[in-house]
Amino acid sequence: MKRAKRILAGLAALALAAAIWLPCVHLFFASPASAFYTKEGLSPKARALAARQMQLWTDPQSRQQELDRMRVSNAEWDFMGRSYLVWALANMGLRDPSSKQASLQTMDRIIDETLRLEQQKGIYFFLMPYAKDRPYVARPARSLFLDGEIALMLASRRILEEKPEYKPALTERVNLIVEGLRRSPHMVLESYPDECWTFDHVVALAAIRVADYLDGSDHTILIHDWIAMARKNLVHPESGLLVSSFTTDGSTIIGPEGSSLWMVAHGLHLLDEDFARDQYDRARRELAGSTLGFSYAREWPDSWKGPADIDSGPIIPVLEISAGSSGMAFIGASAFGDESLLASLNATIDFAGFPSRKKGALKYCASNQVGDAALLYAATLGPIWEKVKAGPK
Amino acid sequence: MNLWLRIVRYWRADLFSSQSFLVRALVISVVFLAVHWAGLREYTSVLNGTVGSTSTGWRTSAFFGVAYLIIYMAFIVLAPILILAAGILTVWQRCLHRR
Repeated sequence: MKRAKRILAGLAALALAAAIWLPCVHLFFASPASAFYTKEGLSPKARALAARQMQLWTDPQSRQQELDRMRVSNAEWDFMGRSYLVWALANMGLRDPSSKQASLQTMDRIIDETLRLEQQKGIYFFLMPYAKDRPYVARPARSLFLDGEIALMLASRRILEEKPEYKPALTERVNLIVEGLRRSPHMVLESYPDECWTFDHVVALAAIRVADYLDGSDHTILIHDWIAMARKNLVHPESGLLVSSFTTDGSTIIGPEGSSLWMVAHGLHLLDEDFARDQYDRARRELAGSTLGFSYAREWPDSWKGPADIDSGPIIPVLEISAGSSGMAFIGASAFGDESLLASLNATIDFAGFPSRKKGALKYCASNQVGDAALLYAATLGPIWEKVKAGPK
Repeated sequence: MNLWLRIVRYWRADLFSSQSFLVRALVISVVFLAVHWAGLREYTSVLNGTVGSTSTGWRTSAFFGVAYLIIYMAFIVLAPILILAAGILTVWQRCLHRR
């Protein structure tokens, strides 16, 4: 055969082989959504992820290594890894009573250490360095990022099993948040100096709602007013999605972002179901994509573009895949029972997340402790929200 | 002829031959297994901005992580395509010879 003909034949064979193989790759990573999330009990993946997370909290050396690796990039991850794990363990304990005692022990260890670190080292210990660049507008300086997530940690622990020592701690946090929101002319609180996050407000309000369930308080009007304010001031007009961050006077800093929105929609599910469903459906439409059977999520809708940052993770060009948004999309898909997206995201993470399994414990090498803890939360969420929605204790 | 010489001969052979495709798939697979067993998978955490290991530092972590990613993709995507293409070429050439 002549050289040119051989080359042409070779290229044609490669093209045909690619056309056969590429659409089939996802089949080697496919599993049903139930492998990741089940309505009741614990999915196999939840158990494996939990085993790894629990190992980290029983082996101080591994935990320190993992925290050191994350803190090099972002001190927030150290904090959020704790929050997601505590929330996940509370849901796990409710789903599987046999895991309750181990969950409670780990939750208490995390909460006690987090409160101690916050008290000893101050709020800046868990914030990114730019928090010190200028003063907070509201005084004394507080971060809703910390207050909201700690409040939800305490509330989640108490939902799983009452611990009287945590009751005053939760009440104090809730009162601080409530008074701050009432004092603020725009009903917003800072996480960083003159920087407020929708994510942090929704988490904080969810914590207040759980505290209401636990302690018989009633902040329905406050929650209702905040949702009304958010619908009016925090919705990006072009996409209808909630913006991510804004100043204390309500001006948008960063528009809608996948790394925030999926969790925001899940949090809203406890506060205002219609608004939550609306946000999830819009996020699904604007941010979720699928190529060759692998689903992923973009960080921004077409109508808003921002720079890649520590939240979005690196953005893969052309498809605009964001690691941060894709990971958080698990939370949205689980919360809204979106089985097709969940199954396809699950295939993606098993393909491109580089799973590593050792003795029944699972971690994703392309992730880190906070990423895996968020996945565990996605695999277990539900029972706390359902309990609170069901009505008073 | 031993296996190594055979691989070298096929590697040097016409780039678009079925043997060449198979040898390249084999080489990708061997390199992938080597980096996998060497533990480079751990360094893919650079994909989310986390250093693979605090002792190796950013540059080395990024190099290992990206190297693993490229070889993994080659193993999962390219190697099977090369094997399939080798099969397609072989079948096609046999059909031609029969004519």
